[in-house]
Amino acid sequence: MSVGDLTTAIINGINAGGEQFMEGTLAAVLPIIWLAILGLQIAQPYMLDMIGRFTLRLGADMLWLIYVMVRDILIVTGVVMSFMFFFPDVVTTDVLPLTGGLAAACLFGVLLVKLMGDPDQNLRDFRLVSALLGLGAALYFIPYVVGVQANSVATGTLLRVSNFLVTNSNPSWAVPLTYVSIALLAVMGAVAAGYTLRTGGRPEVEPSTSGD
Amino acid sequence: MKPDDVATAITNALVQGGAKWLMATIVAFLPGLWTMTLMLHLGRPYVLRTLRRCGLRLGADVWWMSYLLMRDALLLVTFALSWIFFAPNEVQSAALPITGPVAALFLLLALAVKLVRRVDDDVSAYRWSTAFLVVGATLYYLPQVFAIEANSQPRLSWLVDTFTSSSHPTAALWIMWVSLAGVIVIAGGLALRLIQHADRTMGQRLSTTRPKTPSAAAHAADD
Repeated sequence: MSVGDLTTAIINGINAGGEQFMEGTLAAVLPIIWLAILGLQIAQPYMLDMIGRFTLRLGADMLWLIYVMVRDILIVTGVVMSFMFFFPDVVTTDVLPLTGGLAAACLFGVLLVKLMGDPDQNLRDFRLVSALLGLGAALYFIPYVVGVQANSVATGTLLRVSNFLVTNSNPSWAVPLTYVSIALLAVMGAVAAGYTLRTGGRPEVEPSTSGD
Repeated sequence: MKPDDVATAITNALVQGGAKWLMATIVAFLPGLWTMTLMLHLGRPYVLRTLRRCGLRLGADVWWMSYLLMRDALLLVTFALSWIFFAPNEVQSAALPITGPVAALFLLLALAVKLVRRVDDDVSAYRWSTAFLVVGATLYYLPQVFAIEANSQPRLSWLVDTFTSSSHPTAALWIMWVSLAGVIVIAGGLALRLIQHADRTMGQRLSTTRPKTPSAAAHAADD
């Protein structure tokens, strides 16, 4: 082995290992993000109750704004960190939950409802957001716990189910699901862009702009 | 192999591997940055709805300021990191999206609209910057997802081949040079506008509050 060969081997090792480490870290952090998002969504009535008890308007405003900011930034971060589920190479190489891409699409759907509706004022929109979050969490946590985290302890039928729920041991399902997730994200992204272009960035569509 | 050879190999690997790792990290972060940029830009109606509910001016200002800072800083950082698409060596040798430089150009156009017109007050300017961002993001995402990150998919091999910069270095370099020319033109226009604007506003300010020089003040006192 020459010095050049050893150098190349170390470079490849650093890069391949670094990439897999980063993707593994993202996959490990995502359940925490999901739990925090769910916790904050469920905590909305508690927050509103707390705000009602403030005697100073400033404190109430600050609590509500910080709550909304943390909650929404976590949802945006969740979508951004889930981007690896939309890359076919990553899905076929790494150990990821099978329906992680669909969970990310649900999370993006939540953002779309927040953009076009008003979940903090409208009960129907609030229920829709909660349902999407519940569905997304189920699509993420079931394959994560039963598949990714249990395939070394499961045996028999459970092992088959476990392998089925992991992307790199079930690429024939994982890749089509990735394409479905990409299509869902593209459609919702187009709807969001269309809505924002129609409103011109204003809070809602004004009657005068609907004709232009 | 002697210990010195191993030391040399590790040193070379750390230097070259570090550079490659940095480049790979930037490439890996760009989809996330593009997504956040788009989401924050498109999320303006929601941010305004939340803003309207603030009872106090302070809360509303803090909310709006935080939103603006994050939105515009992300736009700038995404453009700055997209500069790797304008490095000819990388475009030729690394697997990058072939339309990456055009995407960066559209990002700069969105920034330019923000700098030239008041995007947050002018609906048509906001629409223009949104359109530039959406087109730029599409030019980035499509080759990134279906070419760069789809090497393992035989059905997409024609897309992988068409949209990867290292597969068509000549075409990729042409796209890069044309986009770079566009970036230079836009940046030059912005710089020119900045100088003219500074001349005008500072000239006006100086003419309205011109301080008296000591000698002029002394003459005035003598009179």
